[in-house]
Amino acid sequence: MQLEAIRLSDFRNFEHVEVVPHERFNILTGANGQGKTNFLEALYLLSAVKSFRSQATNANLIRFGADEALLEARIERGGHERKVRLEIGPRGKKIYLNDQGVRNIADFFGTLNVVVFGPDDIGVLKGSPSRRRDFIDRAIFNAHPAFGTESMHYDAVLKNRNALLKEPKIDGSLLSVYDDQFIEWGARILRRRLDFTEHFRPVLERTFHAIFSPDYHAGLTYEPTWMEGTIDVERALEQDSFVETLLAESLRRTDDEERQRGYTVVGPHRDDLVATLNGREVRAFASQGQTRAFILAMKIAEITYLEERYHFAPILLLDDVSSELDRERNRHLFDFLKNRQSGQVFITTTHRDHILLDDDLRVFQVREGNICSI
Amino acid sequence: MSSADPISKLVNAFRKLPGIGERTATRLAFFVLNEPEETSRELAEALLEVRQTVGLCKWCCNLTDGDECKICTDARRKRSVICVVERTQDLRAVERTGDFRGLYHVLHGLISPLDGVGPDDIHLRELLTRVGERKKEDQVEEIIAATSPSVDGEATALYLQRLLEPMGLKVTRIASGVPIGGDLEYTDRVTLSRALAQRRQM
Ligand SMILES: Nc1ncnc2c1ncn2[C@@H]1O[C@H](COP(=O)(O)OP(=O)(O)OP(=O)(O)O)[C@@H](O)[C@H]1O
Ligand SMILES: [Mg+2]
Ligand SMILES: [Zn+2]
Repeated sequence: MQLEAIRLSDFRNFEHVEVVPHERFNILTGANGQGKTNFLEALYLLSAVKSFRSQATNANLIRFGADEALLEARIERGGHERKVRLEIGPRGKKIYLNDQGVRNIADFFGTLNVVVFGPDDIGVLKGSPSRRRDFIDRAIFNAHPAFGTESMHYDAVLKNRNALLKEPKIDGSLLSVYDDQFIEWGARILRRRLDFTEHFRPVLERTFHAIFSPDYHAGLTYEPTWMEGTIDVERALEQDSFVETLLAESLRRTDDEERQRGYTVVGPHRDDLVATLNGREVRAFASQGQTRAFILAMKIAEITYLEERYHFAPILLLDDVSSELDRERNRHLFDFLKNRQSGQVFITTTHRDHILLDDDLRVFQVREGNICSI
Repeated sequence: MSSADPISKLVNAFRKLPGIGERTATRLAFFVLNEPEETSRELAEALLEVRQTVGLCKWCCNLTDGDECKICTDARRKRSVICVVERTQDLRAVERTGDFRGLYHVLHGLISPLDGVGPDDIHLRELLTRVGERKKEDQVEEIIAATSPSVDGEATALYLQRLLEPMGLKVTRIASGVPIGGDLEYTDRVTLSRALAQRRQM
């Protein structure tokens, strides 16, 4: 997967820029506040149709004083070229694929895949479980665009079930309808996440060895927090009915509790992902630099995993990656990236000399909303 | 402008219509003002007339200007199959396929606890009464749950199944092919027709 060209108009602090990137490495250098992260944000928007910044309302994405932002890109995947256009108005976004308006967003997902690593990602391991679930879900979504619809479906079933549990007199037949739906969709989500974790773990371990140090073993376990005891992952993945029975039993077990509380207390929406370094929990024991390196390894391993298992590599976006790595770790990272045979990468930095790359690259200077190749 | 002034009142009235925001509502209001008085009269009369004469068919809850709708009174239609849809628009969509010759039931909504819509807030009891009362007469055998494959459509269909199967009725579901989360009304004719042909037992 490759970005061949991109054009931005009235997006953030860009009035009009056009960039023709290199097929391997693209370095965006510039002082603080010049538009480097904004450029990566544009790529992310063309992939996910939403921003990675939490405060990004449509109005914030449009250049101050302008009416509408326009993001256009030419993307190559598997020998096919596609044109994507995203229009952002104050009231909404509109996406076009090869000049055709996309009606169902699910049909669009998968056109451009990106994996981003930025300063906020420390929250993946230091923040709440929802950040870790988001990581898994995005990785699964990158491989299976239909997963987006599935998890939306699960959320809607869950919200309805919770609303029903809050009613003073619950219609038993109706609750059983939502039980069945909850079990069906919940099992699907749970199985996909378990399957991902199993296949992802060895790739993560390898990646962490390469970019951090061979003396540390990175571990990752999926934890259904609502379960009594641990889950038999092998059976869960082999037998479709196993997870469904598990969820059904858990619903039955918590029947009184959920009626009392007025919400569903079991299910994949409560799960967590536990990261360990040499067997100790990262959240509790790892240093800031170790934690960041762990998350970076997770992101890079996500790409390797998709490459090995699904034979396509998302574009890697590294925002200010070198700022918290020591010199040795920084060198490991770039050695690792160079050793990959292919794969497009965008890297932002305030100091060009932090980026230990000399070949297969294009360098862009970002200054006051202008981007020029140097 | 105070909320009592007539222009604001009209703008607010237009805003209640689906798909109409503040800007469009304002444009419509000024359009009406610039037209001759006759236009306003026609519009007002048509609105009132439709409200006063069009009601729900006493059998299937389809919109009709009489007591019963044209489909329910059509002797050529098969009375043993009832196709249950969410909205009148969906009934029209199924009719357009030309493949269905049975009767309908329009729910005018889907069950959605999240939006505070329970089984008694849609026209579902009417269906139960109807099949209960006329089961012998019409020899009702099959109920097709033709609600959309959205969460609410799926839940409503499953709920129908829970209630109707114990009454000895066969409940079938239109096959998907209808895009998940999609609107029945906007599904193209071919897809909808195929989905109808491949309906499955629930
Ligand atoms: N809607 C907008 N219109 C115009 N300018 C905007 C808009 N949104 C953000 N900006 C400007 O963009 C700049 C921030 O750009 P960006 O976050 O890309 O900086 P950066 O180059 O990544 O800097 P750093 O090195 O500090 O991370 C700020 O100066 C901000 O005021
Ligand atoms: Mg930045
Ligand atoms: Zn009728």
